[in-house]
Amino acid sequence: MKVLAIFAAASLTGVLPSIDRAPKFQFAGSDQLAFQITQGAHADVFAAASPKYPEQLYSQGLCSKPAAFATNTVVLIMPSANPAHIRSVYDLKGHGIKLVIGAKGVPIGDYTRKLLAKLRLSSALKNVVSEEDDVKLVVAKVALGEADAGFVYRTDVKSVGNRVLRIAVPAAGQPTVRYELCIPTTSQHSKLAAAFVREVLSNRGRTALRTAGFGLP
Amino acid sequence: MRLLFGAAAAVALTFLALPVVAIFLRVSPTTLVHELSDPVARDALVVSLRTSALAQALVVGLGTPTAYLLATRRFRGRTVLLTLVELPLVLPPAVAGIGLLAAFGRTGLLSTSIPFTQLAVVLAIAFVSAPFFVRTAVASFEGLDPTLIAAARTLGAGPWRVFARVALPLAASGLGAGLALSFARGLGEFGATIMFAGSLQRVTQTLSLAIYAEFARNFDVALAMGALLVAFSFILLLVVKWLSFGWTSPFRSAPSSSA
Repeated sequence: MKVLAIFAAASLTGVLPSIDRAPKFQFAGSDQLAFQITQGAHADVFAAASPKYPEQLYSQGLCSKPAAFATNTVVLIMPSANPAHIRSVYDLKGHGIKLVIGAKGVPIGDYTRKLLAKLRLSSALKNVVSEEDDVKLVVAKVALGEADAGFVYRTDVKSVGNRVLRIAVPAAGQPTVRYELCIPTTSQHSKLAAAFVREVLSNRGRTALRTAGFGLP
Repeated sequence: MRLLFGAAAAVALTFLALPVVAIFLRVSPTTLVHELSDPVARDALVVSLRTSALAQALVVGLGTPTAYLLATRRFRGRTVLLTLVELPLVLPPAVAGIGLLAAFGRTGLLSTSIPFTQLAVVLAIAFVSAPFFVRTAVASFEGLDPTLIAAARTLGAGPWRVFARVALPLAASGLGAGLALSFARGLGEFGATIMFAGSLQRVTQTLSLAIYAEFARNFDVALAMGALLVAFSFILLLVVKWLSFGWTSPFRSAPSSSA
């Protein structure tokens, strides 16, 4: 019985198992997963929240040509009590706000920095109280009510719906969030892995992604 | 039988030593030193030393009187208290993190604003490392010759004087060993810190957190910090051995005082 090992971005936690429940999933920051693959970890599919890591592996000959399969948008979330009374991303510059973001190198962390720079809000980085290693940790710290605000993907809000408020980021600041997947060359089940990739790219996969709030490329 | 035990010992020792040796073999000593000058590593070292020093001051300051009471008084519920003190020893760090959040989090029992501050790191370290000190301290206070205490009392020393001038100096090496153990455990603290204090360079990112943050990004820096922690821990454990048994053949005297 062959069971695929799927290494996927933390933001895909809910949706990929809804497309196919059979594989073993490991969800984490895309940068960590990519590193594990370069270290020889046995992965059959690598699905990342940014083209950066699949393209990197591809150029090193460590995985097949990456295919884009989903898009996402970055949103700002606050605990539902909104202790810091945040009404727009521009409030993040305020004094004493506890902002939690992704660490550098983690896709959500890089998107967040890009977004703040585009909106000329980089000074809000002084309010960062913690840099998390994947997006779900950002979600958790906000949903717990410990942080005042955090940048996450639109699709992350579903799992904590009633515990957080969501604000859209102005279109001018919205980065392009594109998910890509590829088959690492170390995969011992590359045929089965290709079938999984086809499934994600199929109509059924696309419907599941859309239901979960993802956009399609 | 000797062959069998020898083989088992060889496998065990190799297994235990290999990861440690590998850290040092993977990168040359000069590179290690060079990588430690990376700002992430330097900041993490400062945060680690600062928070560890504060946490251990807290542990010794509050832990010593606690251990003295637990060692010298007999009362109902003493065993329960001793067990409670030892609990963080076996508690998964993630549980410690959840517990600290539930107690000191903004939405927690005491609803403080401690999370994400350096104080949160100090509390996390103190929580997980205190048992190492208190346990050893209780054992050393219990191991004191009762006739010496009694002699001091009959010579007119009050309880404070007995504690400060007799019990404390006699138990000092045991307390030192406990402190070294506690310090070593505190330096390695990871799970409770990342949950309760988060991770931010220069503020809450200790060496252990920095290793985790850097291993995917800059493996050599992570490796260098790992090597530093190995060296620290090795020295601290040597200190424990020295304080507990003296330099002469620590292992021969080990069975008689299995503190």
